[in-house]
Amino acid sequence: MTTLAERTTSTVSAGADLHLSGISKRFASFSAVEDLELLVPSGTFFALLGPSGCGKSTTLRMIAGLEAPSEGSISIGGQDVTALPSHRRPVNTVFQSYALFPHMSVLENVAFGLKRKKDKQAMDKAKAGLELVELSHLANRKPAQLSGGQQQRVALARALVNRPQVLLLDEPLGALDMKLRRQMQLELKKIQTEVGLTFIHVTHDQEEAMTMADVVAVMNGGRIEQMGPPRELYELPRTAFVANFLGKSNLMRGTVTGESEGMLSVNVASHTILLPVSRAVQTSGEVVLGVRPEKITIDRVAVAGDNQLSGTVIDVSFTGTTTEYLVEVEQVGPIGTFSQNRGQQPAQEGDTVFLAWDAEHSFGLAGDESVNAGVES
Amino acid sequence: MSHSQRLPQDPQIRALVKAMGQRSFSRRSVLSTAGALGLTGLLAACGTGGSSGTKTEVAVTDISDTDPTVNWANWTLYLDYDDKKKTYPTLDAFTKETGIKVNYAEDIDGNDSYYGKVQGQLKSGQDIGQDIITLTDWMAGRLIRQGYTQELNLDNIPNSANLLPSLQNVDFDPGRKHSLTWQTGYAGIAWNKKAYPKGLKSVEDLWDPALKGRVTVLDEMRDTMGLLMLQNGVDLTGSWGESEFGAAIDTLRQNIENGQIRQVKGNSYKQDFISGDAIAGIVWSGDMVQMNFENDDQWEFVIPEAGGTLWSDNLMVPVASPRKTNAEKLMDFYYDPAVAAEVAAYVNFICPVAGAKEEMEKIDPDLVSNPLIFPTDEDLAHAHVFRSLDADEESTLSSQFQDAIGA
Amino acid sequence: MSVELRSKDEIRAEKRKNRTGIYLISPGLLVLTLFFALPVVVLLAMSLYVKPPGAEIGEFVPGFELSNYATVLSAYWPELLRSFWFALIATVLALLIGFPMAYLVAVRLRERTLLQGILLVLLIAPFFSSFILRTQAWKQILADEGFIAQSLKFIAILPPDGHLTATPFAVVAGLTYNFLPFMVLPIYANLGRLDTRLLEASADLYASPITSFTKVTLPMSAPGIFAGTLLTFIPAAGDYVNSALLGNNRDTTMIGQVIDSRFFRVIDYPGASALSFILMISILILVTIYIRRFGTKELM
Repeated sequence: MTTLAERTTSTVSAGADLHLSGISKRFASFSAVEDLELLVPSGTFFALLGPSGCGKSTTLRMIAGLEAPSEGSISIGGQDVTALPSHRRPVNTVFQSYALFPHMSVLENVAFGLKRKKDKQAMDKAKAGLELVELSHLANRKPAQLSGGQQQRVALARALVNRPQVLLLDEPLGALDMKLRRQMQLELKKIQTEVGLTFIHVTHDQEEAMTMADVVAVMNGGRIEQMGPPRELYELPRTAFVANFLGKSNLMRGTVTGESEGMLSVNVASHTILLPVSRAVQTSGEVVLGVRPEKITIDRVAVAGDNQLSGTVIDVSFTGTTTEYLVEVEQVGPIGTFSQNRGQQPAQEGDTVFLAWDAEHSFGLAGDESVNAGVES
Repeated sequence: MSHSQRLPQDPQIRALVKAMGQRSFSRRSVLSTAGALGLTGLLAACGTGGSSGTKTEVAVTDISDTDPTVNWANWTLYLDYDDKKKTYPTLDAFTKETGIKVNYAEDIDGNDSYYGKVQGQLKSGQDIGQDIITLTDWMAGRLIRQGYTQELNLDNIPNSANLLPSLQNVDFDPGRKHSLTWQTGYAGIAWNKKAYPKGLKSVEDLWDPALKGRVTVLDEMRDTMGLLMLQNGVDLTGSWGESEFGAAIDTLRQNIENGQIRQVKGNSYKQDFISGDAIAGIVWSGDMVQMNFENDDQWEFVIPEAGGTLWSDNLMVPVASPRKTNAEKLMDFYYDPAVAAEVAAYVNFICPVAGAKEEMEKIDPDLVSNPLIFPTDEDLAHAHVFRSLDADEESTLSSQFQDAIGA
Repeated sequence: MSVELRSKDEIRAEKRKNRTGIYLISPGLLVLTLFFALPVVVLLAMSLYVKPPGAEIGEFVPGFELSNYATVLSAYWPELLRSFWFALIATVLALLIGFPMAYLVAVRLRERTLLQGILLVLLIAPFFSSFILRTQAWKQILADEGFIAQSLKFIAILPPDGHLTATPFAVVAGLTYNFLPFMVLPIYANLGRLDTRLLEASADLYASPITSFTKVTLPMSAPGIFAGTLLTFIPAAGDYVNSALLGNNRDTTMIGQVIDSRFFRVIDYPGASALSFILMISILILVTIYIRRFGTKELM
């Protein structure tokens, strides 16, 4: 089977840099996006992650040309497209609602963009596009006769066949059930690798963003909080919002008491916790200190050294591969952790336990942050 | 009457019973009557006309004594009306005098359309819910001929003696047994004095190129065709035939086709005069008096030199009306000259009641000298009545007329 | 299998359900029979009646006079054709005027419910007054001395002795105006459900606004347009008020006017019935062709 990429790479460039500079979008009653600066290199699978109302969809719509920015400019592949209407931009969108044309067959839907571009091979390319998403056998059906997953793939094919310089995906998997969603995530990633286009994927699902994207930008309140490869974002969040929204974090308040050999000593409820200077946003005064739950070990016996807290187990839940613990630490609050199921049972509810972690895993945030920012309720 | 009273009320069943009672009845006549009961009963019920029988004989019991009401169907703007109180003063006076309540309905907007509406019920001898109906001579003649009216008891209408002598006998109602004249008027020609100062003298003048597309004529066949035939020197009351009629139709058709005549209209021609679309045409006399009164005396009406038509509307009691005595009392009231003058002062048509002119002196002396309400003998000599047509003639001529006016 | 398992009670309940259905549709059937089927039968029978020799006016006897049809058809086919021609022009005009109106109210003003409501009321408001009065008002608007006619004469579009009323133009304009809401409302109802995200998708797929309109909006509103054109064309073809009030007596007469005059003035019941029947059948044939041609299954 020849892939779409092989068929068309000779004629159309695969992807282009996308550059948003100083983009703001204000509506009558609120400001959706504020002074956004973003550079997405060609061929990147880029995810815009954030809770609903954070401005990620508005950003996407501005790139697509469905919404005009109040300020700033957008350029694709070095060409300023800010003033171009939607139908003149080299981008295509996979909509959350799929927005398939109900009066056209599946094949006609996929060929729609190609026909508008007066592509002589529109029908052949549309058929190849359907092949790519493995729906050739349904080419003559109407969208209403397809399942949700099939419709999603038609929407994807309809956008992909045009070989846009940037492909925009607006929560394209939001309407699918969990199993189908996992499957589609893998397929999308596979297709992106295959065609090599620049993908901008908007989602509120942090797991989805991390599995698929090369680069994730976490948006909150119309701004980008932090941007980077998924692992970097996870291991070293720079704000409480990112720490909490992207996976789980234990955040505790403390005061920097000293520094030696690149390590800060932080006093957390009379315990001394070590924090690498390179992993701290702020190196003096009040700070918020964080550590991911899986980095913590739990034991009934104290170990020698710092980076240790003690508390009482208030909740134990067994999930099979792991056991999750919630430990109440005096003056700090509940700390979450879990241990792999290797046959041991470190603690039971009501036990006094000791929590310890490698100092390299601590991260420091600004002292004025709310420890609950970005916690999903 | 006494004989038919014993027969069943429904005329079709009665016809069936009669047919059975006749010695010479055949199987076929029974069957056809019986068959007609089904479909024609339905047709009659739908008001689309029936199939057979000419005279309708219906036995009705007069309930006037026990039911002091009377229902009167008339044309619009045809009775004195108090705009402020929203009442008809002479009707109120009648009720006060006799205790009979009048349900007055402006139900009639055309002779043909009203006939089409009630003919089915009249044919099957049903009460149409009206005790007095008001229709023009030729239509009155048709109803009387078809037996759709009741004979009046003139003893109940002593004032009928006040009817003008010329109207005491009419050809469509020999002996004046079924009808009495309500109002009379002319059809003549009129023009807008400002837009066409030259004025008109004859029907021929309507074809002046200066009036192209601004002429309107009436869709009432007897008036429009009457005037055209008079212009051709035809004696309307005489024994003219299809060739005389045809010559006039040609003139009409030609002037419609070349656009000289803008429209052929019924009552609504008045709006065309007011809006200015029409500046000359064949019209009814009373309309012009009313319109001039309301629109600063813009128009002038004359009877053409070759003559105009004279028509009357007539009061009749439809067959099966159970309140004939009440209806007669109402008629009697309106032939009182004082009451007639009051009506004439409002409707502005020719008053058919002798003595009304003297009474008018008391109401509005200006109107006494108005020849359109109290015509001179000379005027009347100029006005002619369209002769009666038999059924076949009526069909043929009206069909020709309707085709000519493209309706 | 399941049949055998059903108890007698269940079967009885099933039967009762079926009977309930029949009871429920019976008023509708009765009304249809009384007010549609019977009149049509009467009309058909009446159209074949004959006038016996020497008969009174309005007197006809049952017969099977097929020549009634030939007579009226040969005399009035121009009026019949003209009715369909005028109705067709009026329908096209109503579509051209009505579609943008419906689009404006249903799509453009979707977010502005108040303005949308006001415009809808304005659109329907004329219907609170009588059909005849509205047509009469048009006569005044288009009158020779009126503003429109005078202006057109001033800019020499209309010759000095020309007029607007008593012309085919006035009749078609009246038909268009009077039946416009029958066009607008179905299209409005249809466009009200138009998913504007489809228009965004279309724009995103390189379709210019015009292409989006022709490729998405228009095909999507086809059921509304289909209903609107039928609801406009059918009554317009049979209308006689507009041709009677706004027409002349030369080249504007429509078949409805002829039926009216045959029925009420000439008292030719069989002729009028035959014409009505011909009109009914012609419309039925035209509509059937139209449905066959344009009304695909999903549109209906």
